[in-house]
Amino acid sequence: MSRRNGPWALIFHTLFVVFMLAPILVVCVIAFTPEGYLSMPTDGLSLRWFRALWNNPDFVSSFRVSLALGAASASAAAAVSIPAAIAITRCDFPGRGAFLALCMSPLMVPSIVLGVAFLRFFSQIGLSGTLVGLTLSHVILIVPYVLRTIMNSLGSLDAALNNASASLGAARWHTFRRITLPLILPGVASGWILAFITSFDEVTMTIFLAAPETTTLPVRLMLYIEDSIDPLVAAVSTVLIVMALAVMILIDRLFGLDRILTGAPDRDGKP
Amino acid sequence: MTGEDNAAAALLSISGLTKRYGSTTVVDGLALDVAEGEFVSLLGPSGCGKTTTLQMIGGFVRPDGGRIRLGGRDLIATPTSKRGLGMVFQSYALFPHMTAAANVAYGLEVRRTPRGEIAGRVARALDLVGLSAYGDRYPRRMSGGQQQRVALARALVIEPRVLLLDEPLSNLDANLREEMQTELRRIQHRTGTTTVLVTHDQSEAMALSDRIVVMRGGRIEQADTPERVYGRPGNRFVAQFLGKTNLFAARIADGRVSLGDTGWQAPAGAPDGPVTLAVRPEKVRLSQTGLPGRVGERTFQGGRWLVEMDTAHGLVLMETPNYGPPPPREGETVRIGWQDGDLHLLFEGAPA
Repeated sequence: MSRRNGPWALIFHTLFVVFMLAPILVVCVIAFTPEGYLSMPTDGLSLRWFRALWNNPDFVSSFRVSLALGAASASAAAAVSIPAAIAITRCDFPGRGAFLALCMSPLMVPSIVLGVAFLRFFSQIGLSGTLVGLTLSHVILIVPYVLRTIMNSLGSLDAALNNASASLGAARWHTFRRITLPLILPGVASGWILAFITSFDEVTMTIFLAAPETTTLPVRLMLYIEDSIDPLVAAVSTVLIVMALAVMILIDRLFGLDRILTGAPDRDGKP
Repeated sequence: MTGEDNAAAALLSISGLTKRYGSTTVVDGLALDVAEGEFVSLLGPSGCGKTTTLQMIGGFVRPDGGRIRLGGRDLIATPTSKRGLGMVFQSYALFPHMTAAANVAYGLEVRRTPRGEIAGRVARALDLVGLSAYGDRYPRRMSGGQQQRVALARALVIEPRVLLLDEPLSNLDANLREEMQTELRRIQHRTGTTTVLVTHDQSEAMALSDRIVVMRGGRIEQADTPERVYGRPGNRFVAQFLGKTNLFAARIADGRVSLGDTGWQAPAGAPDGPVTLAVRPEKVRLSQTGLPGRVGERTFQGGRWLVEMDTAHGLVLMETPNYGPPPPREGETVRIGWQDGDLHLLFEGAPA
């Protein structure tokens, strides 16, 4: 670990970071242009497009829809995934492998196929265009992310902890509440965040399912770009980037970002 | 000691206990009685079924047959959480998100012990294991030995009918292990808790137990006091598993055990015929008469010497204290022997 990076490695890393960050930076700068078209702000900065965004009821409501959808589906996915992960990692039941494959399958099915399938299915059972239907489809789409991180945390727990708790007289539910859940909480949290981001970001499937009143932010952006490209889009992007950054900093302060993103088990008392 | 004459006083009574995994029988009709206050060790090589037996007592593995009774109550039908047994796991299994004191308090909280009482009992338990000052520490900030003590305190604080120890000292280094053995013995004497220990370490079993149960292939080979299991092993396996031993193919005729030209008084009632003669290395002495042998390797071990000797009847190991004249040098020819009372006979055919 103590080996220093050579010049080539440094150049590579610099290029990589610049390549990743430059477009984001450019978008953020463009958002402050006073002009009516996409341009670098050469003669002064302006909040014109942020005002325009604030005054655009479509974007504001889409933003609300996306937030609610992301939070609801991530929470529902976590609620389903915890028992599923426990069953898969701790119990040996017939069809366990098939069950796991089924839970993970949304990762492999193209989103566009899911979109078409859900559209057909929801219109048949009368859920098409509803927020409930949209949430349901997102839950299925993001379960693999939550399930995976929770299974990782469970896998790193000593199985004897359960036995220890039982031998001390705790019933199963008590053990889950006092021992298992607190210890897998970082995994659940990281799964929740991943799931929220995935849901918030999802376009391909959602575009099939969203009705005018349930249009999510990314879908709204896409629809908007179809007939006009102006700095409003950049303003939306900037708001999202700043929010993501703020959340990451908050999480890092509260829990430590590394631990959350890797879903490592709780390491209380570590020096 | 047989099952019957112990049954009346038995607190924990196991009979016909069987566990199979697929076609492998891991524990095979095991019967064992443990008396109130007794410290019993299940000793054997890995795969002998000792850990599975302990796990069946603890309720973590479901037996395929047999009975386990605790004070007359059927344990197998009792869920793990209602068995009231204390268990110390090989990995200690301390709850990492709780302090040492919270770990110890857990079992009491589960039992809905009144708050006021919990603090006092936790303090006493931590004091018992010598960790009064460490209640606020998280397990990760404690050494292996300290974690071990917390695990012991946690198991003892619920005042279990039986304390189950699953290789509790195997993760400690040698010095600490000896210290913890003494500690464990002291604590068990003080609390008087009936204890079942699983170990593959024969010196640990001998140091701690009132009774050692030597297991192999899911069955009990011998169950007796450490002195008797060591001094009067029932068969070749026990003789070789507990400590080092010299085995010879000998014959009994006319009340004498003879090995080549040398002979010893046979125990009364020993039948004539071939016999396996077992002698512990520390009973082997240099003598004027006796077996001639040539000194091979000799190893200095601090408090004692280990000397290997080539004889007409195979390699003989002699252990001699580092006291008095030094042992013979390599290559010297000497004669060795032992007292009549120090030989032990195994009636099960000639050694390989």
